[in-house]
Amino acid sequence: MGLVGLELYKLRRKRLFLMVILFLAVEIGWAFSATSISISRNPGSAGWEALIAMMSSMNGLFLPILTAVCVSRICDMEHKGNTWKLLLTLSVRRGALYAAKYVTATLVVSLACLIQAVAIAGFGFMKGFEQPVPVLLLLRFLLGLVITNMGVIALQQWASMAAKNQAFALALGMVGGFIGVAADLFPQGIRRIFIWSYYTGLSPVTQSYASAHIQFVVRDMGSLLPVMVALTAVGMVVYLAGSVYVSRQET
Amino acid sequence: MLGRCISAEWMKLRHSHLWTILVVLPVISVLIGCANYYMNQGVLTKEWYSLWSQVGLFYGEFFLPILIAICCAYIWRLEHLNKNWNMILAAPVPAAGIFLAKWIVVGVLLILVQAFFVLLYFIGGKTLGLNAGLPQELPGWLLRGWIAGLTISSVQLALSMRIRSFAVPVGMGLCAIFIGLGMYVARLGLFFPHSLLTMGMGVLSQTGLSTEENPVFWLMNILYIGVINTGAIWRMRKHDRVA
Repeated sequence: MGLVGLELYKLRRKRLFLMVILFLAVEIGWAFSATSISISRNPGSAGWEALIAMMSSMNGLFLPILTAVCVSRICDMEHKGNTWKLLLTLSVRRGALYAAKYVTATLVVSLACLIQAVAIAGFGFMKGFEQPVPVLLLLRFLLGLVITNMGVIALQQWASMAAKNQAFALALGMVGGFIGVAADLFPQGIRRIFIWSYYTGLSPVTQSYASAHIQFVVRDMGSLLPVMVALTAVGMVVYLAGSVYVSRQET
Repeated sequence: MLGRCISAEWMKLRHSHLWTILVVLPVISVLIGCANYYMNQGVLTKEWYSLWSQVGLFYGEFFLPILIAICCAYIWRLEHLNKNWNMILAAPVPAAGIFLAKWIVVGVLLILVQAFFVLLYFIGGKTLGLNAGLPQELPGWLLRGWIAGLTISSVQLALSMRIRSFAVPVGMGLCAIFIGLGMYVARLGLFFPHSLLTMGMGVLSQTGLSTEENPVFWLMNILYIGVINTGAIWRMRKHDRVA
C-alpha cells in the first residue's frame, strides 16, 4: 500500500488526472451527442440501454488508448529519469514495484470508468428518461469495464516496462483501440481472441439487428459470468508473465 | 546547416525500430479495409473507389494521424532524455535548423509510408480481383494526404517539443481526430488540420475537392504550417528549457 501511495505521489504535477478528464470529456461528449441525435430522430429510442450500449462501443476505441497513455506515463517516468537502479537499491523487490504500478494504473483507469457511469446517470437524468437510474445495470457496466481494463493494463504495462521506447506500447494501444471498435464486425471465434473486444463483449447491453430497427437487449448476467472469470484468469496470467519477464530483465 | 541537422536527425533514428510501426499500421489498415470490402462486395460496387473508401477510411482517418503523432513524439523524446536539450541547444546550429530538420525527416518518413500504403492498396486490389485501372484521383489523394500530414506533423512536433511526456501528445492527437471528424461533419473541414487530411485524401467522400475548395485547402495547409512552425521555433529561441 505504501508503494502505491508513493506511485500516486510521483504523479503529482504530472497532470495525468487532467489529461484523463479531458480525454473522457471528448469521449463522453461524442457519445452523448450521438445519443442526442438518435433520440431527436427517434424519440421512442430514449432509454438507458441505448446510452449504455453507445458508451460501451465508444469505450472499445477510447479506453485501450487511454489505458496505453496512462500506463505509459506511469512506467515511462522511471525510464526517462533513469530511476530503476535507484528504486531497486531501496530494498524493494521488482515484483512489488511492478504490482504498485499495476495497482496505480488500475486505480486511475477505474476512476475514469466511475466518472463515465456518473456521467451516464447525469445525462439520463437531464434528458428526463422515464425509467429510474438503473443502478444494477450501471454496476454491471462498471464491472465489465474494470475486468477488461485490468487485462489490458497488464498487457500495456508489460509493453511499457519491457521496451524503453514507448512508441511500441502506444502503437499497441492504437491497434487495441482499433480492434476494440471493429470487434463487433469480426466472427465470434476471432473476436474471442482479442482482449480489447471485451469492452463491448462484457457490456450488459447489446445491440440486435434482427428487425429493421436496432434493438437493445439486456444480457443475462449468467451468460457473462463465465466470460468474466475467464478474462480475469487471462489478465492474471498476462500480469504474472509480464512481472516475471520484467523482473528478470537487466535495468 | 539545415542539411547537417537533417543528417543528424536521420542518424538518430537508426536502431530505433521505428520502421516496424511505420510498416505495421498501414498493413493493419489495408488488411481490415480489404476484409471489409471482401465481405460487403454486394454493396461496394465501384471497384477501386470502393476499396479506397474502405482502406482509406481506416488509414487516413485513424492510423495515419496516430502514426504521425508517434513519429513526432519519438523524434522529440530523444531530446527530452539524458539532458540532451542542453547539448542540442549548445550546438552551433540555429533553432530553426533543429526544428525544421525534425519536420523534414517526418515529411520524408511520411512519403515512404504513403508509398508503402499505395503499394499495399494496389496489391490488395489485385488480390481481390479488381481489373479496372487505378483511379485517376489517386496521385491527388496521396499528395494532398501528404501535405495535410505535414500540417499535422507541425502540430504534433510543436506539442511534443513543449510536452515532455511521450504519451500525452499522442493522446491529444487522438482527441484531435475526433474534433476533426466533428469539424468535417459540421462542414468546417477546411479549417482544422485533422479534417484537412480527411478531405485531402478523399477518405469519407471520393468526389474530390471542388475548384473553390482546392485553393482554400492549400492555403490553409500553408498557413497552418507557417504559423505553427514559426511559433515553435520562436518558442525554442526565447524560452528556457528544462533538460
